[in-house]
Amino acid sequence: MKDLSHDPITLEIIQNSLQAAADEMFAVMKKTAMSSIIYEVLDMGTGITDAKGALASSGAGIPSFVGVLDKAVKVIVAKFIKPDDVEPGDVFATNDPYFGGVTHLNDVIVAMPVFADGRLIAWAANIAHNSDVGGMAPGSLSGHATEIFQEGLRLPAIKIISKGVPIRPVFEIIKFNSRMPDVLEGDVWAAIASVRIGARRLGELAAKYGVATFENAMVTFLDHGEALARRELAKLPKGTFELSEEQDDGRVFNVKITISDDAFLVDLRDNPDQSTGPVNASRDGVMVCAQMIFKSLTDPASPANEGSFRLIKLLTREGSVFHAAEPAAIGFYYEIELRVYDIMWRCLAQAMPDRLAAGHFASVCGTFIGGIHPDTGRQYTIIEPQVGGWGASRTGDGNTAIFSGSHGETYNCPAEINEARNGLIVDQMALNLEPGGEGKYTGGHGIVMDYRLRADNGFLTAGYTRSKFPAWALDGGHEGSANYIEVIRKHGGRERYAFVSGLVTHTDDVIRVVTGNGGGIGNPKDRDRAAVAEDVLNGLITKDRAADIYGWRP
Amino acid sequence: MSSKSIRVATDVGGTFTDMVAFETDHATGAVRVVTAKADTTPPDFEMGVLNVLEKGKIDPAEVDFLVHGTTVVINALTERKGVKVGLITTEGFRDTLEIARGNRPDFFNLHYQKPKPFVARHLRRELPGRMSYRGIEMRPLDLSGLPDILDDFREQGVLAVAIAYLHSYANTRHEAATVEAVRRLWPEASVVASHQITREWREYERTNTAVLSAYVQPAAERYLTRLADGLKAKGFRARPYVMQSNCGIDTLDAAKRVPITMVESGPASGFWGAAELGRLIGQPNVIALDIGGTTAKCSLIENGQVRITSDYWIERDRKSAGYPIMVPVVDLVEIGNGGGSIAWVDDFAKLHVGPHSAGAVPGPAAYGRGGTNATTTDANLWLGRINRDYFCGGEVKADMAATELALSAVGDALGVSVMEAARGIIRIANNNMVNALKLVSVNRGYDPRDFTLVAFGGGGAMHAVALAAELGISHVVIPAAASVFSAWGMMMSDLRRDHFVTRLVDLTPSAAAVIEALFGETEALSRAQFAQEGVAPAQVKMQRFGKFRYQNQEHTTEVLIEPGAITDTRLAEIEAAFHQAYEREYTYRLNAPVEMVGIHLIASAEVGKLKMVERPLSDTPASAALKGRRDVDYILDGQHQADIYDGDRLEPGMHFDGPAIVEDVGTTMVIHPGYRVLVDGYSNLHITLKS
Repeated sequence: MKDLSHDPITLEIIQNSLQAAADEMFAVMKKTAMSSIIYEVLDMGTGITDAKGALASSGAGIPSFVGVLDKAVKVIVAKFIKPDDVEPGDVFATNDPYFGGVTHLNDVIVAMPVFADGRLIAWAANIAHNSDVGGMAPGSLSGHATEIFQEGLRLPAIKIISKGVPIRPVFEIIKFNSRMPDVLEGDVWAAIASVRIGARRLGELAAKYGVATFENAMVTFLDHGEALARRELAKLPKGTFELSEEQDDGRVFNVKITISDDAFLVDLRDNPDQSTGPVNASRDGVMVCAQMIFKSLTDPASPANEGSFRLIKLLTREGSVFHAAEPAAIGFYYEIELRVYDIMWRCLAQAMPDRLAAGHFASVCGTFIGGIHPDTGRQYTIIEPQVGGWGASRTGDGNTAIFSGSHGETYNCPAEINEARNGLIVDQMALNLEPGGEGKYTGGHGIVMDYRLRADNGFLTAGYTRSKFPAWALDGGHEGSANYIEVIRKHGGRERYAFVSGLVTHTDDVIRVVTGNGGGIGNPKDRDRAAVAEDVLNGLITKDRAADIYGWRP
Repeated sequence: MSSKSIRVATDVGGTFTDMVAFETDHATGAVRVVTAKADTTPPDFEMGVLNVLEKGKIDPAEVDFLVHGTTVVINALTERKGVKVGLITTEGFRDTLEIARGNRPDFFNLHYQKPKPFVARHLRRELPGRMSYRGIEMRPLDLSGLPDILDDFREQGVLAVAIAYLHSYANTRHEAATVEAVRRLWPEASVVASHQITREWREYERTNTAVLSAYVQPAAERYLTRLADGLKAKGFRARPYVMQSNCGIDTLDAAKRVPITMVESGPASGFWGAAELGRLIGQPNVIALDIGGTTAKCSLIENGQVRITSDYWIERDRKSAGYPIMVPVVDLVEIGNGGGSIAWVDDFAKLHVGPHSAGAVPGPAAYGRGGTNATTTDANLWLGRINRDYFCGGEVKADMAATELALSAVGDALGVSVMEAARGIIRIANNNMVNALKLVSVNRGYDPRDFTLVAFGGGGAMHAVALAAELGISHVVIPAAASVFSAWGMMMSDLRRDHFVTRLVDLTPSAAAVIEALFGETEALSRAQFAQEGVAPAQVKMQRFGKFRYQNQEHTTEVLIEPGAITDTRLAEIEAAFHQAYEREYTYRLNAPVEMVGIHLIASAEVGKLKMVERPLSDTPASAALKGRRDVDYILDGQHQADIYDGDRLEPGMHFDGPAIVEDVGTTMVIHPGYRVLVDGYSNLHITLKS
């Protein structure tokens, strides 16, 4: 066969195959996982990096995990430098944000090196949220944590399988530190199956086309990602954009973005010191947020790789909320990431009306409900993000009931499965009809979901943001509505929460999840009359309110 | 008894209605194939069917067996040409259809548009009443609000009512009572409840299934009724059958009740044909590949079994969440790569093929109908793989100037010659198809080298050999009359119903009795249905599958359960089979408790299959069918002088070697250098990829 190492068609075929391998890894993980947060919510991601850890392709999943895997592999590569440190059949794991883990301890990253012709050519990696990795509270997340040690077992970029043989003591330590040992074990093995499949496919590719061709395909693929980003960057307005925004907890977050011909510079240095609670993010984590917004602005269509992100420069201050230093607790990092993502979005929205819509409910609305299943007597734990309303764009109404910007190919849990698996009753799953999000184009609706409990002594933990300051509007539209959780007690009383940890619940108490409507765009009086009439007909707004806000007359 | 029997397959497509008739001579067993084509006649689709029979000079009075296939259902869905539907659902859940699953597949796209529900909010109504997940009534059904709801529906122009309640898969009573009440209060309306279509859990999927079924029901019911009447009026005496998405056929009456089950009937018949062909030639493990004008579809057949799933979605891809339809559908992968797929070059000089297609109009540039885009067909023509003097069986004069112009535009954008552009297009198209074939094989733990590739459709034979080589497959079969293979598949189908029932059972002692009872119950129900339609119970074959998983998992692995009552001892064997199947697919097994999530029962009966007769192999050398030689470009295998064979003149027993091309009216087969071709007793071509 002739030399194909620079044949563009061959390189493209290899690039397509890298994507196919990442997708296959994703499918394997989804089908074998034991936690509903993995197989249903798909709180997971897969990816392939080059030998040094540069992201070459990523599978489906959630955008906030796309830029995580490369950072973990880079830490592993830097740590295991002796000869024989990294060998065929090895598998490594990290979950610690201070060791390349980026997010929080629940997210275990598993990575496997790929060898061809006797040398390391790539890595297959996988991340997934595990239901319980130990720590002070069930589900490992607690609003009361003040140090990372309280949030679970730390895996500081370690080897867990050596030359194909599991290192048994390590597996036992991992398993027995969890309140759900069988589930954790099953999920870790699902991750291992996933990276093994990926590594096998990459090995086959390299064998078929030759290592030189394979490696050149990776290099040109990354360069292509950069070229795409560069072309779109040229179309963005240049200058410095700045925004400061008060948060629900009173902190003020600030972002400065400077867009020039060859860089997208995000400056987050002027922000509060890290919190004593678990509401901090790692520097790697906020980098992922910058990558997400940049990717959406420049090239949302093609899969992300390291080249897509080369033009991003990030400035942070160590010891601040966006660059937490050990041993800061970090459990609710995902709300902090969404906040920084949302303020970057808001900061640029005025300047880029065609690319950016009004604000969305912008919270993961992570909800943790646990207790004893009254029919099976087994412990159950619900760990789920919620769907909510998205903001209006200049061309139409926002989406109703989809997951936040952090999540992507994520699925909510059907009531029928919820009732069977968790032994509670879902009394309703409906659209949130509270006021908010009105405008020429309206924000989409959030939801109202009621969980009625069938057993005593359960617990509720939740951490919602945008509970005080709802989704932001544009051009004279109305802001959206709040995210919150209510507990309606059987014996009377109604409690409202944004953050709550380990609240005790009893039979026939109702936990009501309410997610916000997205922000509106434009003066409501300019809304198309037929659209208002349809909203009234569909019961999305009362006639009186339609008259009041939209000036509507039947 | 007459000296011959006539079996007919009719197929209503978007533009044309096709007919293929198989006339079997009882004395010799020889089968003569007659084809005809007529225009499709919306909305009176039955007219096109009756027309095409007339055009083919087939007298319905002489037809012994007729199967009808149709794209009417899928087209009505994708073109949004159904009726206005009203939905009645459980209190608290009218918004399920709109909330859907909340996913954002195109996750970096901040302008993603969630698919709109098929029923607007004001036509989604609720009634009180609640079942538990175990099928126990928690709150009685209250129908007192129903008359008002139906009044509103009438006023709003609703023509079909869908009913979907929580946990109706576990207890159908509330839904059945509502159906009865709607029929009594509003007899003119078409009505369907979710349990009549599926007995599986997940309320959004089941509700959407009921809604989409109601959406297409009036139109489908009307034309199928008229078709039955029209055939009868013309003297047809047998019972007409309708092709289903589960690779089986069903009676026209049954299909009329739940027409949504026809949604993927088109591809299903071809895949069933591949399974039957595999049995006929002793190759039970088959990867089937169907390449048409706009798409390529593939499916894997293991041990003669097609894989049927109820995890089926329309309009779902990387850009959209799509809509679920929970009906038994052959497990297939479809990609936008066919003969008419357009090649294009992006701003970064990267070549892509598909998913956009030049369609029938204007078609590939070579059609000379004004198409300016290069398609896969243009590339195949340019490389000499398709005969430019025998294009479309000689019916179209290939416009090579237009092809050259279209290909050179691609070449210019890439900075390469016309020839290199054409080669690039074929390589990219082949790679797309290889990835699709991997999705049904390696991605599910199957090694393609253990399978025979059966390729059909207009373009299957053109690409099959290259794809097989890429996947390490050593045996390719191109069926006789590959272009009407789907019709042949319909002739080989059994009357078949797939029943999926959700029931959670821990595999503890006593579980065997529960599982056996569930199978028994479902089998009795199925037999009773068949009996009502005149199919004797003894004629019905049952095949049992269990859906198992490790406790706490969600996705299940299906395990075949051999005939015979399920006992605790046998349950242990079944559990062992699960561990084995699981490890094959996922590389590991666990020492964790196993649970059953539901059953899959296949009830089938043979009703009129075509009997194939093997002809003796002749000694005539293949050179008798040789019609010339020409230069053919085999891409990475180089350019060669290829022998060109006339497919019509090939006879059983003939054999020859590549480089070669076999030309038929509907297809062209490309045989790469060094590979061996043998014609079997049924006129199928076997290509062995060992040089």
